[in-house]
Amino acid sequence: MSRRPPKGEYIETDTGNKVARKATLVGTQNIMLGGKTVIQPEVMIRGDLARSVPPTSSSGGAPANNTAVAIGRYCFLSRGCVLRPAGRLYKGVFTYMPLRMNDHVFVGPGSVIQAASIGSHVHIGARVVVGELAIIKDYVRILDDSIVPPNMVIPSFSIVAGQPARVIGEVPEGGHEAFELRDLYKTVGNNPQPAPS
Amino acid sequence: MAPLTPYTYIQCPCSDVSPLSRSNDPNSPSTAGADDEERTFDPRAPRSNFSLYPLEYLLYCEDCHQIRCPRCVAEEIVTYYCPNCLFEVPSSNIKSEGNRCTRSCFQCPICIGPLSVASIDSQPDPNLLAAPDQAQSGTNILICSYCNWSSTEIGITFSKSNGIHAQLAKIRNGGAPRLTAKEHKEKRKEEAAQSRLAGASSPESEQNLDVETQFANLKSFYQGQLAESSSGGNGLSSLGDLGFASPNSLSRIMSIYTGGSLHDKRSRSRVGTMREALDSDEGLQLADLDESAAISKLQSEGYEATISTDQLTEQPPRLEDAHLHGRTRFTSELRPIPYLLRTKRSKRCPVCRHIISKPEAKVATTRFRIRLVAGSYIPTITIRPLNVPGGASPTSPPDALVPLQPAQFLLTFRNPIFETVKVTLATPSKTPGRFPSKVTVLCPQFEIDANTDVWDEALNKDDTDKDRRRRRGDENNNGGNGNGNGNGNGNGNQPEAGKIWERGRNWVSIVVEVVPASLRLDLLASTANLAGGEGIDAGPLREDEDILEIPMFVRVEWEVEGGGDEVGSAPGKDKEATEKRELAYWSVIGLGRVGQS
Ligand SMILES: [Zn+2]
Ligand SMILES: [Zn+2]
Ligand SMILES: [Zn+2]
Ligand SMILES: [Zn+2]
Repeated sequence: MSRRPPKGEYIETDTGNKVARKATLVGTQNIMLGGKTVIQPEVMIRGDLARSVPPTSSSGGAPANNTAVAIGRYCFLSRGCVLRPAGRLYKGVFTYMPLRMNDHVFVGPGSVIQAASIGSHVHIGARVVVGELAIIKDYVRILDDSIVPPNMVIPSFSIVAGQPARVIGEVPEGGHEAFELRDLYKTVGNNPQPAPS
Repeated sequence: MAPLTPYTYIQCPCSDVSPLSRSNDPNSPSTAGADDEERTFDPRAPRSNFSLYPLEYLLYCEDCHQIRCPRCVAEEIVTYYCPNCLFEVPSSNIKSEGNRCTRSCFQCPICIGPLSVASIDSQPDPNLLAAPDQAQSGTNILICSYCNWSSTEIGITFSKSNGIHAQLAKIRNGGAPRLTAKEHKEKRKEEAAQSRLAGASSPESEQNLDVETQFANLKSFYQGQLAESSSGGNGLSSLGDLGFASPNSLSRIMSIYTGGSLHDKRSRSRVGTMREALDSDEGLQLADLDESAAISKLQSEGYEATISTDQLTEQPPRLEDAHLHGRTRFTSELRPIPYLLRTKRSKRCPVCRHIISKPEAKVATTRFRIRLVAGSYIPTITIRPLNVPGGASPTSPPDALVPLQPAQFLLTFRNPIFETVKVTLATPSKTPGRFPSKVTVLCPQFEIDANTDVWDEALNKDDTDKDRRRRRGDENNNGGNGNGNGNGNGNGNQPEAGKIWERGRNWVSIVVEVVPASLRLDLLASTANLAGGEGIDAGPLREDEDILEIPMFVRVEWEVEGGGDEVGSAPGKDKEATEKRELAYWSVIGLGRVGQS
């Protein structure tokens, strides 16, 4: 709050996304932003790591989309974090799997995310590694410096920490509102407002 | 030392610390004694650890109008589910199959990371790899993608890629087949039949029994003994009833483990002693004291091959194996750990039994049917250091509080309810403990405006907090509001006693001034000597003794409409009359660490 960022540090889109000019978004055509999402400087999103094998027709008649990274509303990607779709063998051929993130997901500074899916209201601390194809459900808090092993499933209302990460506690009933990121959204951008006291 | 984020903990009324209840009771004779020290709640007392909670952990009973905490609520399990595959497990299965996932969900025995099934067939068939969800035959293993442990290290592979739990139950480490509990039972039956036919004793009478078979053998042996002793008893004396070998003690013990099915009245008057089990058919197992194999394994493979206590405690109970009698295990003996099930639980008020929290039963949903959290009833308190413009304090908050140098903090109380509340605060003038810091709450009594709807807030967006703040301040200056202390302070003013610092829609900020104590032990000793103190504790600084914690008694009062049916409402008033509500509790404000000079 003490230092106002120089004007125009962020590009603000029609849907309210605030993307730092100093963020690196590779393969933007494969990156979907839901709106009101903040992407801070030095964030990297690897949209270029898109699925190389089209999804099987059996999974519905939806038109083939090549989204590599899908981000919901009111997500907050802190400085220096990396979103990187994971790869695996599919029909014997190596392909990347899309990384999906729902609403109100906070990713702390310096964290590396290779999950398959992240639910809503998820707080990922600083310097966290989320391993390949991990699945994180809603209302999950991952503490700083955790390493979530590849393929781990984290059920809703878990507090997770450690290397490798394990469930160390449960989010209490009164702790749900703390995951809301609407107020945090207002505090960054080209016209930031102070956080409500 | 790591800087400390200020915090607030709240005490649940279920704690029964006597000084607290005394201070609550105005009729108590001891309050008249003005024994301030005794009445103050000490957050550092060992008992306090068990009654202080962050606000998020507290629930609220609307019938008792009281705070409830995780320690006092009564929990009921709504759903059991596996935290890995997220499948719900019916509670009937818990009894028959235990509290672990019986699908293919396992944790690594080395690092507890999740294990996944991988095919290790020599020629990868693209068609097989295409369908990881379907069963595939061939050679499959469990592999940990965190530490690279695989089930081949304990000599276990699986022929199918699903139903790993059932497959694993039939394989010993090394690959030898293992009997499940059911198969053991059948085998025992067969053996019994065979030995009856042959008329000879079992050839395996000295075999190593698994825990379950041993228990079954012991049980049938003692049941036989009980039957014999009760049939032969003459009811002569009850003197022998106290020994381990007495039938009464035994039937009592067995009724504990077998649910009372053995405890029949007929066997009450029995006499005499019984013999003990003599061989493995009767459940006797001699402890294997020969550890030379373990010693030579240690010599050849070293410390690396042994397992840690953590790894041992994570291991599931192994009823199909022989009793270990305290022997250590090697990593080659570890088994993959089936995931422990998790639960969704509802919570009841311990006093009135009303449900105060109830999640939806389905695993996939995060909704709650009932969720009465304390945060929607009592004010939240946030803390930040106050830096007066032009004051001596530096621009950024200091890492540690400077001893003997006054510091000011802003406490912001936010009102969650839709009524105006009156808040009264009380703190001791000095914090309890060996290093008392001086505390002054500049405005211990104030009113907070009612919370409003989110939509009201959105519509009045132009009416920023700042404007509102100033207006409020003016109103109060002109009219006063009965409290005489609700004056707004505007911006940039100096903190003033009896005046609030700032107010907004549903919040009020007040200033608390502290003079942190010096943590010097030599000073502690000398001041204590001056005061003629007896038995001063001049021991070294204890853990977290440098944290400045203020015990604060918070009383919140508000009025609600109607409520004529309530017990507390005064008679003779009409139905429109408002009812007074009050909630009072101790809290602890942690401000920061005091620096050591
Ligand atoms: Zn309680
Ligand atoms: Zn499972
Ligand atoms: Zn492992
Ligand atoms: Zn109640």
